[in-house]
Amino acid sequence: MGDDRRKKTFVISRFDPDRDDAPRAQSYEIAVEPDWKVLDALNYIKDEVDGTLSHRWSCRMAVCGSCGMMVDGEPRLTCKEAISDYGDTVEIAPLANFPIVRDLVIDSDGFMEKLKSVKPWIIRAKQLAAEEGPLRQSPAELEEFKQFSMCINCMLCYSACPVVANEPEFIGPAAIALGHRYSLDSRDEGAAERNEIFRGPGTVFSCSFANECSEVCPKHVDPAAAVNQAKLNAVVDWALRLILPRRGGE
Amino acid sequence: MARNAHPRAMAPAKPGSTRTAPPRLPDRFPLGGRYLAYTLFDWTGILYLLLGLLVLCAVWSLGSGESVWNALLERHRSAPYIGFHAIALVGVVFVGIRFFGFFPKAQPPRIGPLKPPPGPVILAALYALWIGVTVVLTIVLAGGARG
Amino acid sequence: MVETAIHDIVIVGGGAAGLRAAIAATEIDPEASIALVSKVYPMRSHTVSAEGGAAAVAREDDSFEMHGYDTVKGSDFLGDQDAIRYFVEQAPRELTLLEHWGCPWSRNEDGTVATRAFGGMSTKRTWYAADKVGFHMLHALFQHSLRFENIARYDEHFATKLLVDDGTARGVAALDIRSGRVRVVLGRAVILATGGAGKIFPFTTNGNIKTGDGMALAYRAGVALKDMEFVQYHPTGLPGTGILITEATRGEGGHVINADGERFLATRDYGVGTKAELGPRDMISRAIIQEIEAGRGISGPYGEYVHLDLRHLGEAKIVARLPMVREIAKIYAGVDPVHEPIPIRPVVHYMMGGVDTDIGAATSLPGLYAAGEVAAVSINGSNRLGSNSLTECLVFGASAGHNALAFAKDSSAGSEDALRRQGEEEAARIEALRGKQTGGEKLSRIRADLHRAMESGCGVYRTGETMDATVRAVAELKERYADVALEDSSAVFNTELVAALEMGNMLDTAEAVAHSAASRNESRGAHTRRDAPSRDDQNFLYHTLCHFDPAGPRLSKADVTLGHWEPEERKY
Repeated sequence: MGDDRRKKTFVISRFDPDRDDAPRAQSYEIAVEPDWKVLDALNYIKDEVDGTLSHRWSCRMAVCGSCGMMVDGEPRLTCKEAISDYGDTVEIAPLANFPIVRDLVIDSDGFMEKLKSVKPWIIRAKQLAAEEGPLRQSPAELEEFKQFSMCINCMLCYSACPVVANEPEFIGPAAIALGHRYSLDSRDEGAAERNEIFRGPGTVFSCSFANECSEVCPKHVDPAAAVNQAKLNAVVDWALRLILPRRGGE
Repeated sequence: MARNAHPRAMAPAKPGSTRTAPPRLPDRFPLGGRYLAYTLFDWTGILYLLLGLLVLCAVWSLGSGESVWNALLERHRSAPYIGFHAIALVGVVFVGIRFFGFFPKAQPPRIGPLKPPPGPVILAALYALWIGVTVVLTIVLAGGARG
Repeated sequence: MVETAIHDIVIVGGGAAGLRAAIAATEIDPEASIALVSKVYPMRSHTVSAEGGAAAVAREDDSFEMHGYDTVKGSDFLGDQDAIRYFVEQAPRELTLLEHWGCPWSRNEDGTVATRAFGGMSTKRTWYAADKVGFHMLHALFQHSLRFENIARYDEHFATKLLVDDGTARGVAALDIRSGRVRVVLGRAVILATGGAGKIFPFTTNGNIKTGDGMALAYRAGVALKDMEFVQYHPTGLPGTGILITEATRGEGGHVINADGERFLATRDYGVGTKAELGPRDMISRAIIQEIEAGRGISGPYGEYVHLDLRHLGEAKIVARLPMVREIAKIYAGVDPVHEPIPIRPVVHYMMGGVDTDIGAATSLPGLYAAGEVAAVSINGSNRLGSNSLTECLVFGASAGHNALAFAKDSSAGSEDALRRQGEEEAARIEALRGKQTGGEKLSRIRADLHRAMESGCGVYRTGETMDATVRAVAELKERYADVALEDSSAVFNTELVAALEMGNMLDTAEAVAHSAASRNESRGAHTRRDAPSRDDQNFLYHTLCHFDPAGPRLSKADVTLGHWEPEERKY
């Protein structure tokens, strides 16, 4: 027979705003291939069993950030999770802490707004012309911010963070990490501006050291490190401004 | 299924074009899995509050004369107070270890031209400072209690 | 009544080319109203998965002449030489701008941008960002675009029809995936930047979203698709999933070996000469297939494959230059390349063909522009060199942005009423498809059969017989598609409806590929026929044009612009 396929039951959260008051659970029992990822099971269910299941996915190689969902209560990239790491029943739900649009699809627009609020771009007093050629940046300078530039915007950290769950104004781990990434970039001159943003409400000082963001990050960005570094930078910047006169260019 | 998070958690500034179901808390929050350590860490705030009150009482006692001060020390030798102090000690050590654990990665890569020392050095310095201050304070207070 | 929005230009697609076009238009006029319509949030665009690098002349020992010649030769002399000259001359400027916008290019010790060797390139000119160049470029472009308030994004809006008034492209009808309502997004010019169509094949590096949408939009609006027969098979994809293992693995010195551990690209004559693993992709893909057919492949659950061996590079180099490759190999192939070779085989990666454009990214339809993989200028001809594509997105994305805005400023708006009515017709068509109960065909079955047909007739090696069979199969599939039944009748975030609409695009694109392939009776670049194994410049040195016609596609020819480099035998 050589039947490597086992049966697993997937308990999936369903929600259609036009039909359901609230999300409900629906079970699907299917035979799974041993080398499937959880996403493969979802796609199989959609293609062959229930065409009404809605979920986001694209690259299936853990770089586009589309397929984040709660798998057995933990925020995961479903394209990266091996089915064989899970038991006979697997629970799949939309990302925690987000409004739910449909089935496994959440509203990402709040995240997009928070991302933009940290001015995630190179800030320079004078814009460079292409003719001036690339700026120089040493490998050591690149290392300073490289880790924080790895974020794929998958939002798993937002699902894990207890502050995101309870404080709607909190801009969250990925946004702060991205702002910090730019402040650390040797080509950027906007650290002072971002430090000011980070002294505002709903930013770095809302963080209460849960470290869950870094625990769940699939790209090892360590946003908790960024947030806490940003706290120190914001305070030091504030203290220096008290002592020293304001530096030119602002 | 899970309970609701804040109704406006991760909500965009303007409502979207369709009705959404309210955001849900992660299943294990607040006492399951890794969240337990975090929740306990947060609740030690209550211990700090009580310790703060005790310190205020002690300072007030110091200013009210020797008999009041001795009465306070007597109280602190009783079972309930010793029990509280034991719990508080565990709580503070737990907070210290967890908090210090964050320090190496919470260091900014540079403050001006200076780079911070490597993680293990920072940790060693923090523990040395903590233990050192504890020892000094113990000696001072023990001397005061005896005298 | 469909909601109508009016802008200066409308860009369809939010990847490298679309974002670059939006930024380029803003550079000219910061007040210009630019719509960016994308069926996914821009950072999910498939640009994100590119790994190896982006090419531009950077070193003293390099020149535009050399980059141009490498590209022309790589194209097997089907590339338009004027476009290629323009491309190589603009390339360094574009990559420099990306650097200014924060892209974390990997660096030499002295702080200058580092370059690596790449397939078919005569010297090191591929700028790279570890092995995640597409990710870093896309995020740099997207984050830079956030500075500009005049770029209005229509995220998760699926453009399903090009709206044309008075012979000019004036906007799109787009399904708002979240609400299920159709919006009409108007401008005085439209840019297509929707990428390729790898999903018409079963094994591809491409993500779910690469369904030929822009190609189909242009095709159905009467614009020709050019050189569609040329489908690039990337030599090193994982068997089964098709996930990309970057050419940079070979650029850094990796070896391709057969079941006997032999570096067959070096030991046997596959036309790549001393370049061996750094030969052009079409030749290496053919070599691998031939090794497998000769019985020197390794058998696995997903068919035959060969090995990519990185062990001799050492852990330090792999961690520094190829960290994502290592992670991908561990998660998706179950091997650690530091200790074991990676299983690989050729998989579909890129479409050299696409919407027929000129150097200015303009199509034959006034007001319609196209840039990136969706377009064929053509700089890639019959085979693309690795690391030219990301640069292509930037060069022609910028060109499209500038020219589309210039056209828009010089143009009147179309008739809003007429355009809205077209939008309403499209909305009615989509409504009829949503949850369509009547029909006997299953979407997943049509997809599986399309995959089988394309793999069989438009694979690495083709014959007249298999291509003709595929032409017939695609025609039959289009009929079956009209009879598809769907389950999901919901309005909100109906991904089955989106998949059904994408299937229509995939079938139109596949039709163009199959017909174009069957008509080319020679082997050139990525189009290899067992029954016509040589290149025939006498009879086939032309671009194939494929025009939509309800009675069956009409094929015609377009001249290749030569003039500087004479076609010669393509040997490395």
